[in-house]
This record gives sequence, C-alpha cells and structure tokens, in this order.
Amino acid sequence: MSVTDRLPRTGLLDGYTRAERGVVGFVVLLMLLLVYGLVTGGLGPTYFLYLIGLVGMYVLLSFGLNAQWGYTGLINFSVAAFFGIGAYGTALLSADSSPIAGNMLPVVGLFVGLVVAAVVALVIGVPTLRLRTDYLAIASLGLAEVIRILVQNQRNYTNGSAGLRGIPGFFEGWPVLETFPQAMPTLIVERLTLTVPFLFEVDLFGFRLGQSFWQGLLNVSLVLVFVGVTYAMLRRVHRSPWGRVLRTIRADEDLAEALGKDTYRFKMQSFVLGSVIMALAGVFYAHLNLYVSPGDFEPINTFYVWIAVILGGSGSNRGAMFGGFVVIAIREGTRFLGDLLPAAFPTLGIPFTDLVVSFPALVENTYATVVSNFASTRLLAVGLLIILVMRFRPEGVLPPQRELIWPEATEGPDPGSDPGTKAVSADGSGASRGGQTDE
Amino acid sequence: MTADDNRLNRRDVLKGTGAAGLAGIGLTAGCVSTADETPTPTESSGGGGGGGGDDDDTATPTEGGDMGAYEIGMVNSLTGSLSAFGARNERGMELALESVNGVGIGGRELSIIVEDSESQAQAGVSAAQKLVNQDQVPFVIGAVGSGVSLAIYESVIQSTDVVQLSQNSTSPDLTNFPGLLRMSPTGRTQSTALADIISEDGYDSVAVAWVNNDYGQGLRDAFVDAWEGDVAYDSPHDQGQSSYSSTVSEMANSEADAWLFITYQPEFTAMAQEAFSNGYEAQYYGADSVQGSDVLADTPEGSLEGMKIVTPSAAVEEQNYQDFASRFEEAYDQTPSSWAAFAYDCVITAALSIATADEFTGAALQETVRDVTRPEGEQVTTFAEAMEVLGEDGSPSDIDYQGVSGPIDFDENGDPVGFLQIFSVEDHEYVSTGFTSA
Amino acid sequence: MSVLEYIANGLVFSSIIVLASIGLSLVYSIADFANFAHGDTMTVGAYGTLVTFGFVGGLGGTVLGLPYGFFVALVVGIVVAAVVAVVTQRLVYEPLDIGSIGLLITSIGVAFVYRALVRLGFGADPREYAVELQRPIEALVPYGIRMTVHDVAIVGSAALLVTGLHLLLQYTDLGRKMRAMADNPDLARVSGIRTGRIRIWTWLIGAGLAGAGGGFLGLYNNVGPRMGFDILLVVFAAVILGGIGSVYGAMLGGLLIGMIDQMTPILGDVGIPIGTEYSYAIAFVIMVAVLLVRPTGIAGEAGS
Repeated sequence: MSVTDRLPRTGLLDGYTRAERGVVGFVVLLMLLLVYGLVTGGLGPTYFLYLIGLVGMYVLLSFGLNAQWGYTGLINFSVAAFFGIGAYGTALLSADSSPIAGNMLPVVGLFVGLVVAAVVALVIGVPTLRLRTDYLAIASLGLAEVIRILVQNQRNYTNGSAGLRGIPGFFEGWPVLETFPQAMPTLIVERLTLTVPFLFEVDLFGFRLGQSFWQGLLNVSLVLVFVGVTYAMLRRVHRSPWGRVLRTIRADEDLAEALGKDTYRFKMQSFVLGSVIMALAGVFYAHLNLYVSPGDFEPINTFYVWIAVILGGSGSNRGAMFGGFVVIAIREGTRFLGDLLPAAFPTLGIPFTDLVVSFPALVENTYATVVSNFASTRLLAVGLLIILVMRFRPEGVLPPQRELIWPEATEGPDPGSDPGTKAVSADGSGASRGGQTDE
Repeated sequence: MTADDNRLNRRDVLKGTGAAGLAGIGLTAGCVSTADETPTPTESSGGGGGGGGDDDDTATPTEGGDMGAYEIGMVNSLTGSLSAFGARNERGMELALESVNGVGIGGRELSIIVEDSESQAQAGVSAAQKLVNQDQVPFVIGAVGSGVSLAIYESVIQSTDVVQLSQNSTSPDLTNFPGLLRMSPTGRTQSTALADIISEDGYDSVAVAWVNNDYGQGLRDAFVDAWEGDVAYDSPHDQGQSSYSSTVSEMANSEADAWLFITYQPEFTAMAQEAFSNGYEAQYYGADSVQGSDVLADTPEGSLEGMKIVTPSAAVEEQNYQDFASRFEEAYDQTPSSWAAFAYDCVITAALSIATADEFTGAALQETVRDVTRPEGEQVTTFAEAMEVLGEDGSPSDIDYQGVSGPIDFDENGDPVGFLQIFSVEDHEYVSTGFTSA
Repeated sequence: MSVLEYIANGLVFSSIIVLASIGLSLVYSIADFANFAHGDTMTVGAYGTLVTFGFVGGLGGTVLGLPYGFFVALVVGIVVAAVVAVVTQRLVYEPLDIGSIGLLITSIGVAFVYRALVRLGFGADPREYAVELQRPIEALVPYGIRMTVHDVAIVGSAALLVTGLHLLLQYTDLGRKMRAMADNPDLARVSGIRTGRIRIWTWLIGAGLAGAGGGFLGLYNNVGPRMGFDILLVVFAAVILGGIGSVYGAMLGGLLIGMIDQMTPILGDVGIPIGTEYSYAIAFVIMVAVLLVRPTGIAGEAGS
C-alpha cells in the first residue's frame, strides 16, 4: 500500500522496498567513499582486499546460519565449532606443522573439512534437534564448547594451544594460480596531482602493488567464488519443495507434522547443510590467515554471526550479506575510530572572544574513559545495537520478502505470501498484501 | 513477471557498476607501470603525469617531505587477557619515544601507530594487516602473546620484508623463525633454569600447573624436556576459570612437594589462596608471569614464603637501567617491570635501525636492525649516546647498543641473550637472590 | 580420603551454581525466555558487594570469618542486582513483542551492555574482597575434608536463601501466585492475580539470587568483569538438566553440575585419563545425555 504501487513500472529502483532503497543508497555511498579512499591513497589496496576477504567469510557464515535459522527456525549456537572444524580440517591436512598428516593439497583439505563438518553436524543433531528451540540453543552451545575443549587439549592430534602453522595458500598445487602472486609483476601506480585551478588540488594514487596485493586479489576471488556458489545453491534450494517444507516447519512445526512431514529429518538436513557452509567459511579462513588456533572456536564468534544475521534480516540471503558487512565494519572500523577521535573532550572556544567553554569534569572523565577503553566501548556499542535492532526492527534491515514469494504466484491477486513471514516492518509491507511482490 | 523485470533491473544495475569499474581501471591503466627487479627508487617508465619519483616506495600520505615523522607500527594487547602486559608495554614505549624524540633521527621524529590485538590471534592478524598494508609501516613491534606473534608473522609479515620485533613473546617456538625477532629471551631458558633450581633444592618430583595457551604450553614443554625427575602432575587450566579448587586438590594429591606454576597473576593468586584455605603446604616455584605486587597484596602473609620465581631480568645493575627506572618512577609512580624495559628497548632498537639504514624501507631496516645491538662497535647505553657516536652517517656496526633490559645481541634465530633473575619471597616481599644467564 | 574432599569442594561450588540456577529458572518460568544476561547480573551483584564492602568493611565483629560488613555488603549487592534487572525488564524486555527467541537474542545484547559498563567503570583486572583468608577447619582435617569457615558461610547462606525461597513459594501468598503464574499465566490473570506485579517480584527475586551467587563467587574465587559470563553456560546446563519450569529441578541440577565439575579429579584417581580440563565438557555431555532420555529435563514439564 505504498506509493510505488501506483507508479509506472519503469526505472531502476522500482519494486524495491524502502529498506532496500536505503540499503542500496548506503552501499552506493560507501562504494563511492571507498573508491575515493583507494584513489587518493587513503586506503591501502591490499588492506582493502583483506577486509573484503573477511567480509566474504562472514557472509558465508551468515549464509550457513541463515540456512538453519532463517529457513527452518533452528537456533544454533555452535557456529564457531563448525567454522573451526572447517579450518582445522583443512589445516590438519595441509599444514606442515600438523601432528597427524600434513602437506596435502588444500583441495583435499577442503573436502575433508566439509565431510567432517557434516559428520559432526549429524552427531550434534541427533541429540539436539528433537529438543524444543531454547534447549537446542543451550545444547548446541554446550556441545560447541565440548569441541573447543577437545581441540584445545588433544595436543597430540591438534597441537593444542600452539595452533597450526605453515598452512599453504589455497591454490597450492594448481598449475597457474599457485605462483600467481609471485609471478605477477609489481605494479607501481604513480602519484598524480590533480589540480583544478582556483578550486582544489588532490593527490591521487601513489601505491605499489606487490606480491601481497596479488595474493589478496586471489583470496578475494576465491571467497567470491565460494559466496557465489553458495548463494546460487541456497536460492535453488529455497525455492524447491524441500525449501517450502523448511519454511513451514519454521512457521508452525505442528502444522508440518500434521501434513505428514517427518520434521526431524528435514531439520537434520537443514542443519547439516548450514554446518557445511560454515565449515566452508572456516576453510577459506585457514588459507587466508595461514594460522589456526583453538581461539577460533570461542563462542564470541558465534554471537557475532548471530548479530550479522539478526541485523541483516533473518531468512534473507541479501540480508545476511549486509549483516556480514556490518559486523566487519564494527570490528575493524572501530580501529580507525580510535585514531580519529581526539583523546580529550574538546573544549568549545567561542569565536571572536577569548572565552572557552569547558565541560564539567564528569563529562570529560567519562569521555576519556570511553575513548581510551575502546574495546569496552565497542562491546557496549554492540550490545546497544542488538537491543535497538530488536526493539525497532526485529526482522532485520533486509527481511526476506521476494525470496518468499513463489514467482508464478505473483500473477494476480493472490496471497502468494508465506504463513510464516512476520514481516511487520516499519514500512508496513506485510506479506499478506496481495499481488505485487512486496509493497 | 514483474519480479523478473525487477530482477532484470537489478542485473542491469550490477552490469552498470561492473562496466563503470572496468572503465575506471582502464582510465588508471595509463598511470600504471611495473617495477624493475631492483627495489631502488623508480625511474618512471612511462605512464602518468606529475607527481612521481617518490624516493621511497611507501605511499603513506604523511610523508610530506623531510620534516614528517618516521612511522612504525606496534601491535599491543590493549584489551583481552594479556592487557596487563599491554599496559606495561605502553609505559615503556612512551618513555622511549621521549628519549628518541628528544634527540631526533636526522632531524625527524619517530611516531608509533599502536593497534590492539585483543590478545587474540585473529584480531592481532587484522591489526598487523592494517599496519603493514594500510599504514605501510616497515617495522612492526608485536606482539605480547606468543600465539599472536606467530600468527602475525605467518600470515602477514613473512611474505614481505617488514621487520617484526616481538616485545614480550617468550614461547620457545619463536626460535624456529629467524625472521621473527624478539626482545624478551626465550622461555626455554626460564624452564631450564627452573629445572636446575628445583633439582638443586633436592626435589625429584614436581607438580606442574600451566595455563592453556601458547605461552604456558611452550614453557611446560621446555620444562618437561629439561627436567630429569618425575612429573607427578601435569595439567593445563584455562584463564579466568570460576574455580581452581580441582587443580589445587590434584596437585596436593599428587604428593609432589615441589609445585611449579606457569600461569598468570590472577590465576596464580586464586590457586595460592585455594592452597592456603585448604591448608596445603608445598615449595612453590614460578615462571615470570606469576610475579606481581597484586599477587602479594591478595595473598596472606606467609602463604608464599620461600617461593622462587625466575623472570627475564632487566640489567638492573647497570647505570642506564637505573636512569630508566628513576625516569619511570617519576613518570608513573611505580617501579618498571622487565616488560616495560623490553618495550623500551624495542623502540630504541627500531630508532637506531632507522638512523643507520639507507632508506626507510623494510628491506633496508632488515639489514641494520640486528647489527645495531651486536658486539661489533662501540658500546652505547642510551639513544643519545648512540646518535653521537653515529654522527651524520654511521653504520650499524659502529655501535653496540646495550639496552636497559640487557645486552640484547640478537643471535641467528632472532633471540636475544637471555639474562634471568631469580626472586625469592621473604617476609612476603620479592627479594632478588641472583642472576643467571641462558 | 580425597573423595570426601572433592565432595566438600563440590558442595561449595554447587551452592553458588544453585543460587544462580534457581534465579534463572524463576525468570525463565515467568518471563518465558532464556536470559543470557543472567551471568552478567551475577557480575553486577558481585561488584555491588565489592563497592559496598569497601565502604562498610570493618563494621563490628565477624561471624564465620566474615565481618558483619560483608553480609551488609552482600545484601546491598543483591538489591543492586535486583534493581538493575527490573529496570532492564521495564526498559528493554517489556516493550518487545517478539517471542522468546527474540528476547534471548536481546538478552545477549543486554549481557554485553552490563559487561561493558562494568569494564568501563572498574577496569578489566580481577579484584578481591579485603577479607582475610582462612585456614581449614581443624576438626574436619582428619577426615580429609578441607573446608574453611568461608566455605561454610557460603554453603550456609545458600541453604538459608534456598530454604527461604521454598518457604516463600509454598507458604506465602506471593509464592502461591508465582507458582500459579508459572503454571498458567492466562488462567492466573483471569483469576485476578496482578500478573504485572508478580512478574516484577519474580525478576527481583531471581536477579537477587543471582546477585547473591555473584557475591559468593567473588568470595570463593575473585571479582572480574567476565566472572558471570564464564559460569553462565554451566548454570544453563544445570537449569536444563533439572528441567525448565521447576525451581526444585534447578536446585537438583545445580547440585549435580557443581558436583560433577569438582569431582572430575576422581576419574584421574581411578585411572581414566580424562583430566580436569575436561570438567565443563563432561558436564555438558552429561546434560545432553540426560536430555536424550528425558527431553524436558529431570523435573521439567513439556514446554511450548
């Protein structure tokens, strides 16, 4: 029931909800800022690629969690465990410091990591998937901790706290790509000065793209491939009859049972699928970081992925992408914030006078404490963010809408809506609006 | 159908963006050139207007000519489980910056960009990525935790020629990486010294409680290698546990009379309290991190009597250390720890490497960083003294910097010469009872 | 004999866990969601006690090795935890209408906020109460039991609080109403019970117990910003083991989990090579095993 219903169907951003337009606008703005940063040399290209790699990793994790929570309504707090299993699986096979194998091709490690994750998912799923949802949450968290404790203490198998070093890059053993970073020439992009007379002068470029850059480019390409493949697969799966059953289970499990579906089997399949995707993220991480340690299994990593999914939009893959991006922005962006904020609360100078307004000691002390203890402040900010999102937009920024509509069902007035979408979002685009795709 | 249209529109948007991106790359291609093999400053082989001909190939926008500061990086545990060490490092670092910038390096100052590792490998790696790839520093001082230092080295530093110098990492594992320098001696020396001391004291059975991380595991492994007697108890514990009673009970049940603690202050305090409350008596031994004034404050009188602790020592009897200590006390109202001394020396070493290098790049600094502290050359004990000896154009082998933490003298594995100090707890105070070297 | 010693250790640790798990179970049964901020509520209570004890420290004499001031400080800590929880309930949880899973996620955010504020206010280093450490009780040492009077104080106070709660639930008006609400909120409302008020009382009591648990945990171990969160999982295990919705189940669960955690050294004694570093792992595995057999926990009711 929004204005866009009555507008002619032309133009680029038609049919996007207000939230989506907002996000597109935000992303475009950010892209422009990033390009500006890259071009003026304010943002190092290799670092930028590293951040993109991290974002890709979180996007994969969010996809995996989405397949469990968003599609089927499973509360899984063992994300970090599967992430770690993927990472350790490939590391144990390909690292040269591995106590049980080593120096195998990373592709083999990828395969083994995913298989082990699937097996462990079965093992965890059997006792927990029959439980009610909040029991499932605690039980999955508990079992994830068991896995972490095992990995940390079985030193003969995993090197314990020392972690696994000497992990090769993912393309080890591939004909061209293995030596791609070394083979590519080091590009030097000259520094230019762009002068617009009487207006401004700006410095452009001026960086050196060496081996790290090409390695970073390779990593980013790899994660983009992973993300792309996973996204396509999930879209396919979601639209299939299987996906439809999952959505019914999420909405109303009793209804699904009444329809004769063995919900346990479907939940298990969804659980395993999500876990394998999380392990894929772990595999990428191992070959990006070249080092894994038991700290990768810590529950705080699980919570960050949950934040990404909740913030982005439960059940929506685009939302998961957005959420992953926001989480990295929070974790890494606050590094820069620490640099940008002045250390002491600024005093206000009144212009044209010698007067200076300074604030009471309490304000200054609080400011000083907040700025100098940035980790605590970041934790506070993250907590407040969660609370605010749950208060004002519990379905996330980009809740699933178009995904839930069967394409054929959008012809004509038909509540092609899904019984389970509680998309009571701020722009009133309830799913039960007939006909058009979203509003 | 409408959905398809929308999807097509979205695809168009993506195509448009992609095309724009490619166009952008094409435009800039004219300004791009490739480097020759030699890393000397560029002959701009074609491409682009203005600008070019930087004398160094770091692209920090801050090099505004000759008066800009030299920027190096530091990965420190500002938060997380090792934040106490991070704080000590900060104090030492600031004092060192004062010393260096009081004299200057060829008219320029030294400035340090500090990033937080959160005492975790993941965060440490991303901190190092920012320093190396965004801030383009050629020298990184980092990190505190041994696992973090190794992670940074493996994933960021190894494939570049940036110099990495760890301020506090003591795990014996770092010795296997000659490219990774460190200022604090390897824990292996502590473990060996402890094994010697315990057996000299007449014990043949020891119970070892060690913290479950790279530091604890490294020192414990080295100890078990060096110890010839029986290890009656050998179990790890986590930091921040809610209860250490089972650890202490098991140590008591192992019937060893010598208890060795390789852990941090809060954990050791909890264990000492637990042992006291349970009426257990044993001869305590400790590695470096169990020592601290908080431990003394929170344990009852007499509970630690006779405990022996081995720590990496600062050169406490040297003049430069004593000057350092008095400046430290003036500034911070407390005596410096050896960790602060290590951080101090890291900064001074970095400054001296910069002063003697041909250019401010990783490759050049790699050449000089070891030699400024090696035995060839005149012994100098402060930065100011060193700069005087070097004059306008000194080379690294003209000086032999003797740090406040010891002679340093990096060996071929990047480890410094280790001096250890042995403390004993007498009348609930730490009393130094001797020195020993690696 | 060392088994007795482990049992004694287990009793003390269990007392703390029982206090926390009862509180959690109470809140769970009334507010109908798993409160992940419960651990950090314990932390808040502990810091409340710490700060107050700094002021009222040497008040009067001592009982069981603890100055009267400590108990006063403990009461203040309880009140602080309770008040903070109720304020959070009013400000944060009540306006939300998103079902128990959403509330669970929100409580994670609340937990972060509590922890960050504590860290900002007090720094990250662990602290201790300025209470003198005690030696074990002489009379018990020959039996191999090494408990100090502090441990007795912890167990005793916990027993007192638990008995008090039992009396409250069984014999007072408020208790009856709480039980009614836990059983069937709609029916309770219909029969005239002021559910809003009862809800607040439940939060007060639940969080207060958590604060007491935190205060004692600070005495038993130390006071640090992460203390509550580190023990939270174990408390959840206890609640689930005992069965959600049953306060008595939570007591049993707390006792069991605490005992299991402290008795893992026995495995080493009898030759099973599982060290104490696995004690939490064992507790979780047992929890999951029990859930396999009884999906609602030992004393729980079938949930929604």
